[in-house]
Amino acid sequence: MLREPPEGPDLLATAREVLLNDILPAVPPEKAFAARMIANAMAIAGREAAQDGAWQEDATTRMAALASDARAFAAAIRAGRFDPGTPDHAQVAALLNDMTRARCAVSAPRALGKG
Amino acid sequence: MDEARRARLTDWLRAATGDATLAIEGMALLSGGAIQQNWALDVSGGRAWVLRTDNAATLAVSHGRAQEFSLLRAAHEAGVTVPEPLFLCEDATVTGAPFFVMRRVAGTAAAHRVVRSETLGGGRDACARALGRELARIHSIRPPRADLGFLGEAPSDPCRAFVADQRAALDRQRHPRPVLEWGLRHLERTAPPPIAPVLVHNDFRTGNIMLDEGGVTAVLDWEFSLWSDPHADLGWLCAKCWRFGNDAQEAGGIGPRAALYQGYGQVDDARVRWWELAAHIRWASIAVDQAERHISGVERSLELALTGHMVPGLEWEILRMVEARDAA
Repeated sequence: MLREPPEGPDLLATAREVLLNDILPAVPPEKAFAARMIANAMAIAGREAAQDGAWQEDATTRMAALASDARAFAAAIRAGRFDPGTPDHAQVAALLNDMTRARCAVSAPRALGKG
Repeated sequence: MDEARRARLTDWLRAATGDATLAIEGMALLSGGAIQQNWALDVSGGRAWVLRTDNAATLAVSHGRAQEFSLLRAAHEAGVTVPEPLFLCEDATVTGAPFFVMRRVAGTAAAHRVVRSETLGGGRDACARALGRELARIHSIRPPRADLGFLGEAPSDPCRAFVADQRAALDRQRHPRPVLEWGLRHLERTAPPPIAPVLVHNDFRTGNIMLDEGGVTAVLDWEFSLWSDPHADLGWLCAKCWRFGNDAQEAGGIGPRAALYQGYGQVDDARVRWWELAAHIRWASIAVDQAERHISGVERSLELALTGHMVPGLEWEILRMVEARDAA
């Protein structure tokens, strides 16, 4: 332990509770939307701070194995190189799923609930 | 608006109406964004109007008002429920920017209120039917139209034109977007055959449609209109990302899909489904652009920043749609 706890995710979560429970009921109705946006931004930042970012390196490696880099990977998708019926189709579908699941875990965890 | 501008506006309106005694009795800003302003205008004789103009700072895009006026006029003539367009002033010296005047209509467009209400628009079923009828009227406007020449040449194959436009938009972005490419490639592989293009509103969704308890009072926001496949509008309205959480009501979170189709008339459901996937891709791409406005510093805004965080959820939905469509 070098940094002083509680760390960022805890502070964001605790501050967000205060915002939603104590501040939001007291703000005028025309400012409620802004208050909710702040709470939403804090939730996203908190999830990002708490997430293990190792998936990014893993995804980059997997993209590089299929094409030279992320841009070439996107271009290869566009060109139809990973269409259904091609050898790498299932692998690419799985990679896109894994990347998007990790991105949703930060930005839009509710989207995964329905997936 | 200062006294001098208001006096010039009064003179201009007197000339436009031929009413030499016309007086502006009240003027209040209804909504003002970075680009447009809407003013409620109360004019003698009980006339309730809206003046729509550009912020003086954005004159570069100001000819947009003349185009919007032409679209409103074409829609009004086709029987679409829009605020009746009355007068267009392209002379920027009157109020500082070109403007047009339209009749003021009452109602609410706020999406989250609309999808929660059982009675707005005459009830869910009636409202979905009415939306179908509005779209059918919009789509009765067909090229070529000299008054809508600014829309350019109509595409011979609207679905492939959409894919090409979206790819061009992705090419302008800073980062590659493999999931959006995945969706676009699927759309390309499964594109329905060419279809005769019509006027497509291109943002016909909950939030842009004003309702009261009796029905639709106004179809708003014509700035994205283009010549395309009529099913594009049905797909945009039905896309899950535009149901504002009320997923069970497939027509915009407002009412049943079947009622929308019945109100519309002839619908090719498979084409609508293709455009629903297209809608998710287009909205994700717009969301990326909006976040980029914040990130680049053009317009620092928490709302724009958060819009960017909608992209992963849309991508997840795109992957699920492609997977289901490929398996079918």
